[in-house]
Amino acid sequence: MQRRSFIKGTFALATIGLLNPILFRHGLSAAEEAVEMPYTELLNEYLSGKKAEDGSSIMTLNIPEAPENGAVVPIEVTINHPMNADNYISNITVLTTKNKANKAISFDLTPASGIAYLYVNVKMGQTQDVVILAKTNKGQIFKASQNVRVALGGCG
Amino acid sequence: MELRGTVKILDQNYKVGDVIKAKIIVIHKMDTGFTKDKESGKTFPRFYMKEITATFNGAVVAHFELDVATSQNPVIQFPFKVTGPGTLVVDFVNSDDDKAQKSVAIAPAG
Repeated sequence: MQRRSFIKGTFALATIGLLNPILFRHGLSAAEEAVEMPYTELLNEYLSGKKAEDGSSIMTLNIPEAPENGAVVPIEVTINHPMNADNYISNITVLTTKNKANKAISFDLTPASGIAYLYVNVKMGQTQDVVILAKTNKGQIFKASQNVRVALGGCG
Repeated sequence: MELRGTVKILDQNYKVGDVIKAKIIVIHKMDTGFTKDKESGKTFPRFYMKEITATFNGAVVAHFELDVATSQNPVIQFPFKVTGPGTLVVDFVNSDDDKAQKSVAIAPAG
């Protein structure tokens, strides 16, 4: 009996010892864990089973094809879509395809926005596509993308 | 850490009913959590600007959820319709839940 309880005790201690760094990390630091966010996962999450329509005809993208520095790539998008109270673009999301974490920004619009427009700076680790997704209030999803050649990566 | 952000109106001489653009600049790191310090080898924890909300006269006109693929010191431009004189209030929240607020007066001409 004594030997058994001794073994149990050691196991318990060992488990606490193993868990401790995790508890410590989660307990003290408010910063989130560095989770990789693959592009396909983010895209599927956004589409949630629906199909994306080709938005290249209504979206005007103003993105440099070969920016000097991947740390700051200006993305400018204008969507030619009515912004009425019953028919408007409700969300614009900018994703990259080959970064470790690919979500750049999600912008929720209202009819008070007037036009569907967004300018944002994105960072890129390597040459890849920028994907712009737009959702209307009726659930229609538009997608457009552009390849961006990056000479000097902006991510670690 | 103090959050430094600002909001500006890009257009001038706008009237009621016009759609104008506002520009937000935040001085903030966007650490992905993947980068390492070259000297100590320690990983920088994920630390980024998380949420920006713009409110014009009490109504939300733009809501942004940023993530780590946004560049350091994010710059954002967004449109909104001027419904009358008032204040555009912008709230910033980062991943450590630090908050800041900036506002700019909207005074349409005529």
